[in-house]
Amino acid sequence: MNELLLMCMIAGRRAAIPAIRVQSVIEIDEITPIPGAPSFIRGLTALRSQALTVIDCTVALGLEPGETPTQQRAAVVDIEGHLYALLVDAAYDVGEARSEPIEVPGGFGPGWQAAARGMVETDGGPTLLIEVEKLVTAPVAQVAA
Amino acid sequence: MDDLLADFVAETREMLEASGGEIVAWEADPSDKARLDTIFRFVHTVKGNCGFFDFPRLERLSHAAEDALAECRGGRREPDPVLVSAVLAIIDRISAMTDAIEAEEEFPEGGDDELIAALQPGDTPGAAIASKPAAKQVEAPAADNDDAAPKAARSNGVQRSIRLPTELLDEVMKGVSDMVLARNDLARRLREAGEQPTIDGPFDRLSTILADVRNAITRMRMQRLEHLFGSLPRLVRDLSTELGKQVMVDFEGGEVELDREMVEMVRDPLTHIIRNAIDHGLEGPGERIKGNKREIGLLKFAARQSGNQITLTITDDGRGINTERLAAKAVAAGIYSQAEIDSMSERRKHYLIFEPGLSTADEVSAVSGRGVGMDVVRANIERVGGSIDVASKPGEGTSFYLKLPLTLSIIAALTVGSGGQHYAIPRSYVEEIVFGSSDHVEFAQAGARRLVTFRGKRVPCLSLGEILGTEEPEGTAWESKTLVLVRLASDDIFALAVDRVYDHEDVVVKPIAPAIMETGLYAGTTLLDDGRPMMLLDLPSIAQKQQLVNEMRSATRVVEEEAVESRKTHSIMLFTGLDGRRRAVRLELVRRIDTIAREAIDIDGARVQAVIDGTIFPLVGHEHGELPEERCRLLRLSDGDSELVYVVREVLDAADMDGDIIPSATDPLVEGVTLIGERPVPVIDGHALFAAHSAPKREVQPMTCRLPAGSDWAHTILEPLIEAAGYRVAGDHEEQADVAIELAEQEESTPASAHHVIRLRHEPEAVTGTADSIYRYDRDALLAALKQARMGKTA
Repeated sequence: MNELLLMCMIAGRRAAIPAIRVQSVIEIDEITPIPGAPSFIRGLTALRSQALTVIDCTVALGLEPGETPTQQRAAVVDIEGHLYALLVDAAYDVGEARSEPIEVPGGFGPGWQAAARGMVETDGGPTLLIEVEKLVTAPVAQVAA
Repeated sequence: MDDLLADFVAETREMLEASGGEIVAWEADPSDKARLDTIFRFVHTVKGNCGFFDFPRLERLSHAAEDALAECRGGRREPDPVLVSAVLAIIDRISAMTDAIEAEEEFPEGGDDELIAALQPGDTPGAAIASKPAAKQVEAPAADNDDAAPKAARSNGVQRSIRLPTELLDEVMKGVSDMVLARNDLARRLREAGEQPTIDGPFDRLSTILADVRNAITRMRMQRLEHLFGSLPRLVRDLSTELGKQVMVDFEGGEVELDREMVEMVRDPLTHIIRNAIDHGLEGPGERIKGNKREIGLLKFAARQSGNQITLTITDDGRGINTERLAAKAVAAGIYSQAEIDSMSERRKHYLIFEPGLSTADEVSAVSGRGVGMDVVRANIERVGGSIDVASKPGEGTSFYLKLPLTLSIIAALTVGSGGQHYAIPRSYVEEIVFGSSDHVEFAQAGARRLVTFRGKRVPCLSLGEILGTEEPEGTAWESKTLVLVRLASDDIFALAVDRVYDHEDVVVKPIAPAIMETGLYAGTTLLDDGRPMMLLDLPSIAQKQQLVNEMRSATRVVEEEAVESRKTHSIMLFTGLDGRRRAVRLELVRRIDTIAREAIDIDGARVQAVIDGTIFPLVGHEHGELPEERCRLLRLSDGDSELVYVVREVLDAADMDGDIIPSATDPLVEGVTLIGERPVPVIDGHALFAAHSAPKREVQPMTCRLPAGSDWAHTILEPLIEAAGYRVAGDHEEQADVAIELAEQEESTPASAHHVIRLRHEPEAVTGTADSIYRYDRDALLAALKQARMGKTA
């Protein structure tokens, strides 16, 4: 309990990523696109000598990409040895979860349902807890497509 | 030194270091039981370890100390300062002996008995009481005086090694890579800021140091191939026993180093090739004798390093690949039609061995012949960025050539541009680069497939932009593209059209996320100098996706047919010299185009040279004008033996020479003038150029020459002359030399054989018995003799 979460905004909704998974939050200035890659992969960006795969969380959730925010904040996570930068609308602070993740009757909507572990109460109100693994594999995006 | 022995020495020394403090504490308080136990354990372990090795003296010493200490531990004897000193003396001796073992030297005889006697309780009380100094004395002459000094020197000279987890190495490597990127970034900023002598100096030094560190780190990850070779004899033995064959293995080049991970990656493919060789390649003893071969089959492994690549050759002297049977199988399996097979060259048929689902073994044995085989081997080798090739002669044997990159992560790449982005292509695939606008290149369309004809070859042509989806298929301006001719390991060729070709560079390849991998377009990612990522293209996979690997078959046939008709026209390369005038040189002479920094060109009077990749080339063309300030474009010309570079302002294009060359007598360096697009262009006279400037290229395997041993004169005066004459001075260990030079005065003739012997005498005039000799300062005669020896060999 009292899991630490990185609070952020994805597709205009409050979302949270387990803070323990997040190595850092970076500001992305340049993305090298990868032609031929699935649309939720925005490209690569470099963090020191590492190349990060930039995931557009909105697209990965199967939602229509909104306007590109001026501040390109991304949470850096390591999934099976590969580094990803999860591009979010905005990244706030790290906060505590006030409850266990719970399901809501009727679900959260197709994309969200696949990627969320549930809803948690936080100081900022109810927030969807995202499972990062789900964002970087194709299925979520395919569900949307 | 043996690994086990090294471990023994390391362990003993480790314990000595660890128990050093205990020994001192024990000396202060001999009744301290805990300390006693530690020291007892030490001598006990040493004694035990000695049992594995043949060190009777060490064993005796440690045994005696152990006995005495056991008495104390059992309470049968009170430890006293006398005993302590005696035990310490023994421990010191053990330490000294260990040093001697490590340095592989003989430890001086004697002294052991006194040390052991000093352990005995009470029977020589006087001696025992005085034994503290006595023990030291006993040790002093034996160990201290004779050994202390060499020991100190030795421990400096001996290589120490430590074990480290590979993750730590990776961590350090990553750190250094980061530093290199930071350095590159800084370098760019410094360049932008202009010249700043106070900063540039230290920055250059930093760069050099960083390069060294990076080099050292890379070496840390290297492992000698010996480690891989070491496990093979056993494998071969087991397999050959199982199959009732006799096989001898031969290794060469075990000292070649390879990235640890790469060594592991080639282990399985190698095992597979060995299985195949023993099972299919090598005949049974009976068949071998019938075939006039030695009863025992030979399996030979040879490794060579060339640049950033390792070539590993596996050769057997068996029956060779049975192409007929292979072809029949391929037809039976429906992979090829008989007509396709008939049109294949013998060499192409050998490649059938890499087709999935083919096996020449009629019977499936436990060892091989299940049809999963060489195709998997090839896939595995290609996955790590290598390639595999095969050559076979019926009745004589088969060779597999594995080309492997030195490390898994660093590959030589060609960087190309498409759609405003950089991409890397493994250089090993790149056969040739041509401009789409060149006169030699003709595009054609066959259905949906774009074809390009170049030098009589018609190959499929792909546009990188189209493959990546960044470009409309219709909108491709083929003529403005640069074509990279790609030859896959399977010998399939296609042309890849890119916007432009940037550079050759060694790139550090990192794995990419699975979702990107799934596109089948990319094999990895790498970072550019400025820190931006760049994708590495996966050419075999792209070819597969475009179904080129299948289409290739027809294309290959086209190649074979069309290659027959040869072109009569001469091709030339057009360029502008430093004076801005257009000139041309015959294309056959041009080996490649280089760009080097101005500093790499050295002009000193009539001697003008350029340094490219550590090799010095004579430079011409500079007489036409001022050299550019920063970078110079060079044409590297070769006449087959020697090379020279021609500095130009700009390389224009390759073209066909339509008309004749009108000879010109005025300029000796110009062969004549020809018309290119209605304009006269002087053509450089290759013959005159090389006649004037050629420096013989150093032969890959120069002739060897043995010099008189132990003669300073030979070493300091003769050697440079010999080397300048193109010989390599033979080392002492080499038995065979092409030429031996002897001093006439030295009576004993060199026992080692040599094809030619040249005798040198001291006196200018020949005296009796030295008539066939040459005066040692008669340079002309000596060079003539060397030349004669060379002619004798080549004749």
